[in-house]
Amino acid sequence: MSKKVISSVVALVMMLSLVLAGCGGSQAPAAKTEGTSTDKAPAASTNAKTDVKVGFIYVGPANDGGWSQAHDEGRKYLEEKLGVKTLYRENVPEGPECEKAITDLIDQGCNVIFTTSYGFMDPTEKVAKQYPNVKFFHCSGNKMAENMSNYFGKINEPRYLSGIVAGMKTKANKIGYVAAYETPEVISGINAFTLGVQSVNPNAKVIVKWTHTWIDAAKEKDAAIAALDEGCDVLAQHNDSPAPQIAAEQRGVWAIGYDIYNPQAAPKAYMTAPVFRWGPYYVEQVKAIMDGTWKASSYLGTMKDGVVDLGPLTSVAPEGAKEKVEAVKSKMLDGSFNVFSGPIKDQSGAVKVEAGKALTDQDVLSMMWFVQGVEGKIESK
Amino acid sequence: MNRRAFIQIRGITKTFGAVTANNNISLNICKGEIHALLGENGSGKSTLMNVLSGIYSPDSGSIFIDGKEVHFNSPKDSIKAGIGMIHQHFKLVEVLTAKENIIAGQKGSFFIGSKDLSRKIKDISEKFGLEIDPDKKVYNMSVGEKQTVEIIKVLYRGADILILDEPTAVLTPQETKRLFDILRKMKDAGCAVIIITHKLNEVMEISDRITVLRRGETVGTVNKNETNIRELTEMMVGRPIDLSIKRIEKNPRSPALQVKNLTVLNEDKRHALDNISFELSAGEILGVAGVAGSGQRELCEAIAGLYPVAGGEILFEGENIVGKNPREIIKMGISMSFIPEDRLGMGLVASMDMVDNFILKEYQNQKGFLIDRRPARKKAEQLVKKLDIKTPGVHYPVKLLSGGNIQKVLLGREIESNPHLLITAYPVRGLDIGSSYTIYDLLNEQKLKNVAILYIGEDLDVLLELCDRIMVLCEGRITGIVDARDTTKEQLGLMMAGEAISDGIGGGL
Amino acid sequence: MIFRIVKRAELSKKKAIAIRAAAIVLALVAAAVFIFALGRNPVDVYLSMLKGAFGSSYRFREIIIKAIPLTITSLGIAIAFKMKFWNIGAEGQIFMGAFAASLFALHFRDMQKPLMLLIMAAAGIIAGGLWALIPAFFKAQFGTNETLFTLMMNYIALKWVTYLQYGPWKDPASFGFPKVANFSDNAILPKVFGIHIGWIITLILIAAVYVFINRTKKGYEISVIGESENTARYAGMNVRKIILTAIFISGGICGLTGMIQASAVNNTLAVEVTGGVGFTAIITAWLGQLSAPIIFIVSFLFAALLQGGAYIQSAFQIPQAAAQIIQGTILFFVLGSEFFIQYRLVFKNEHPLKTKKEGA
Repeated sequence: MSKKVISSVVALVMMLSLVLAGCGGSQAPAAKTEGTSTDKAPAASTNAKTDVKVGFIYVGPANDGGWSQAHDEGRKYLEEKLGVKTLYRENVPEGPECEKAITDLIDQGCNVIFTTSYGFMDPTEKVAKQYPNVKFFHCSGNKMAENMSNYFGKINEPRYLSGIVAGMKTKANKIGYVAAYETPEVISGINAFTLGVQSVNPNAKVIVKWTHTWIDAAKEKDAAIAALDEGCDVLAQHNDSPAPQIAAEQRGVWAIGYDIYNPQAAPKAYMTAPVFRWGPYYVEQVKAIMDGTWKASSYLGTMKDGVVDLGPLTSVAPEGAKEKVEAVKSKMLDGSFNVFSGPIKDQSGAVKVEAGKALTDQDVLSMMWFVQGVEGKIESK
Repeated sequence: MNRRAFIQIRGITKTFGAVTANNNISLNICKGEIHALLGENGSGKSTLMNVLSGIYSPDSGSIFIDGKEVHFNSPKDSIKAGIGMIHQHFKLVEVLTAKENIIAGQKGSFFIGSKDLSRKIKDISEKFGLEIDPDKKVYNMSVGEKQTVEIIKVLYRGADILILDEPTAVLTPQETKRLFDILRKMKDAGCAVIIITHKLNEVMEISDRITVLRRGETVGTVNKNETNIRELTEMMVGRPIDLSIKRIEKNPRSPALQVKNLTVLNEDKRHALDNISFELSAGEILGVAGVAGSGQRELCEAIAGLYPVAGGEILFEGENIVGKNPREIIKMGISMSFIPEDRLGMGLVASMDMVDNFILKEYQNQKGFLIDRRPARKKAEQLVKKLDIKTPGVHYPVKLLSGGNIQKVLLGREIESNPHLLITAYPVRGLDIGSSYTIYDLLNEQKLKNVAILYIGEDLDVLLELCDRIMVLCEGRITGIVDARDTTKEQLGLMMAGEAISDGIGGGL
Repeated sequence: MIFRIVKRAELSKKKAIAIRAAAIVLALVAAAVFIFALGRNPVDVYLSMLKGAFGSSYRFREIIIKAIPLTITSLGIAIAFKMKFWNIGAEGQIFMGAFAASLFALHFRDMQKPLMLLIMAAAGIIAGGLWALIPAFFKAQFGTNETLFTLMMNYIALKWVTYLQYGPWKDPASFGFPKVANFSDNAILPKVFGIHIGWIITLILIAAVYVFINRTKKGYEISVIGESENTARYAGMNVRKIILTAIFISGGICGLTGMIQASAVNNTLAVEVTGGVGFTAIITAWLGQLSAPIIFIVSFLFAALLQGGAYIQSAFQIPQAAAQIIQGTILFFVLGSEFFIQYRLVFKNEHPLKTKKEGA
């Protein structure tokens, strides 16, 4: 009797220890390895080929259904292709918290850092100065250093294409555009979209609603509803959550997504989306670091590179749109089409870009005015 | 009185933390008797009655009603068993009428036949001589009327066992008499009445049998006819005690305090004090009698500079102190001490220790930003010895001391400042008999030192024995200032009820 | 109901410690269930949390940096709470302190550094103090409810800073991104031992507040008023004046937090400058029993909990929300234990008399 009890206790203990050991071994490798790499972190990047640990900072949740998810898919792609270890921090506010999040990741052994929101630029620059041996990549900004690249995609090209789809779809000739901040990135996106709209429907207006946040589903929904209440029957967005698409579907109208291709978010409204595919770029850069050939750069990925693209048109997209889009897209791919080639007028009707001329990439990166056809105000000076 | 016990309480024990409030208490109560539960504060009377009315669950022991064991988990259960409790603090809704209060919380149909109800209330009222206007709002009622409503309420609910917790504390002698008449009628109707009190005279007047509790234990049950006040006191206190208060005869000297045409308005802009005038001499104790809320608090606080004065003068040794706050009064060099009614809420800082409470009045005289606690500690230690204050130490929070010791701390601190005028509001309220006599002695000691003392009291016997003169307040007016040596309780009672005595003796009117 | 809530009389120190210890154990067990549900090993997660909080000098510094604003703000709140003035407005006072400090930092870019920092600190203290004084004045004058008043003042302060950041103070060099320009170097607190000197200020303030509350007349008056305004009036205190002074000091200390955070951590004014410290500090002030040294310990542990929580988020790649649930669970139990230190549950049996009798 007592023997039986003892043996069953022993068995139980053994089982428990096995379970615990199993958990520890398989599910917490990060915790196990980080102790060693922490101390070596700064030195690691200079020589070792394999000792790369990549950290990502997201402004929203990693599965936000938009911007941050696009980066997170890139991160997973990187892990899969190169087998490197990655860490991420989500929901990081654009302020000193970001600095702390970056240094936390470095402390946990990361020697390559991607910060993926405009507002992370200054904190990234600041931390980059303190950690010269860590490589930094900041997305959507304009600052650079010896150990800090910036990168972005020419999303304006697919935005222009999505404008064609929207312009053909709208019957009210009013298209709502839910937008985050009055930055050149957002403004030029609105302009590219509007130019696309007007290329097929010169009467259509694009009504801008600011949210003053990159990601906040509630605010994005409010802005979307405000646009819908003004009679818009197509919504586009420069915000990170699918809330505007869902709002459009609830009203029985249509939407253009952003960042990732995700028609399931609002199957009855979703027409297409300008999307990012960061994976290949991430792989290329990290590989260069591992090979020791890396140099800081400013990179603007194009459709040709595959970094940006327009997602496939769904069945809700207007008839004939696919052909139109394909035609323009092929010109973009062969370099014969520039979104911002003149003549372009601003909101007041004054010619900003003369016929035969075009804005340079640099002009676009500091664009602080709206083209004709946009209804909205840039409040900053 | 040979009936068998209707309520049997067997071995009730109830503890609160380390304190044993009831220790193995047993007593029997019969139908048709008025049973007094006598004991000092903290002797466990209220705890026992709260057990009986279902508010507390006892740790052990049992209760039988009419031979059947009962278990009360809530007041509802005890009401069902026919027990009605009249608390010291009435539990009435002020904005409702008497009738509405009586039916409030009653089970039954949502709509109540108003006529039936009125008839039922009338029946009960007539049966026991309870006079009440069922449609009068509670906030318009006097204390006595409110108590009547409470009584009807429990009778309406079918109570035949009535528990009254210190029912006379808030009543004038006349109202008390009326209440006792009601209780006698209830007794005649076969109800069991339990009255909790510490007033011996009342016990002797109203009860049939008396159970005395001391420190949570039953001392014994005696028949009223076979005992006397002296014996009861000894049972209560545990030792023989001299119950006479000696009045020190002394020729009062010059007036220390003169109040002239003082008028004070309360928060509702009603007259709390209406044009009152009196004098108080050094070496005199002037008693103030009156039903609770007749303006006593406002009078004390107005003199102490804590209550705004609407008109009149308060002359302290010839100097008008109206409009001055306590700080300014202290600064003027006027040594006046005020022992407020609310000891822990006004006179002392409840959670602080003796030392910090001693600093209260004197820290402002210290120089600099920092506080020096050493002198206060010394004084506190001296006082503990001098007044025999029972405390684990001078750094023990005063709120954890017993009522008597709290009062000693407060009175001791005030006397320590050698005042010329001492205002004391209900200084023995809540104190046991022994402590009360200590306080009377302390006051007499001050009187000998030529201190002018204003004594706000509630026990008329004490007022008559201790004071030189007694001023009676009714609704903010003085209804008489009489010499304590040749006045009776009945006379005081009449004045308290508002009958001015035209031929006031030795008055300052 | 099978139980009732009863206030405890007095509780021995030993028992109080036992309850707190039990709470922490329960918290770890409850959070362990959750961690297990996430498919992780709780023991690993906890060890990793400890390591994440104390595992390196960097992490220790990060805890200190987090503990600084928490401690200072808690000290400020404690002074008001000691007086039973429920200052829920620390968040707003931090904002206004940061705003006033920034006003000088942004407009006098060439001033000498020590002078600049002193002016900024003074501005922060005064602004925070004045901001707190508004509800205090209304309370003293009209008896308004300070809890709601101070709470609402937070939002006004927040919106004011938001307005500045998105409007007049927006940095023209930031290409439309709503951000105030960074301070120049003369407006940034220097570092000692790798941490900005806020930690020295914190230590000084802990001592100062301790002495203030326990050894000064003002501190004594505040304690008396907190206990009973009637007693204070009875003792001849000028209650109004004391309330206003104390709240000015309370708000001023919170305002100083704003200056420190804007200068040393944000290097500018931003809506993120408070980091929610104004609300968190209410918890730490309470847990610290309004006593300066205990507040410091509690704030430090709280910061460690945050640091450890952030660590496991990336170490185990669990969602931030899940990491916060673990932190929240621990906090819930610790706060809950304070309830059980003050109250206890009395269970009612069907027949309390009988069972007890049998037992006896």
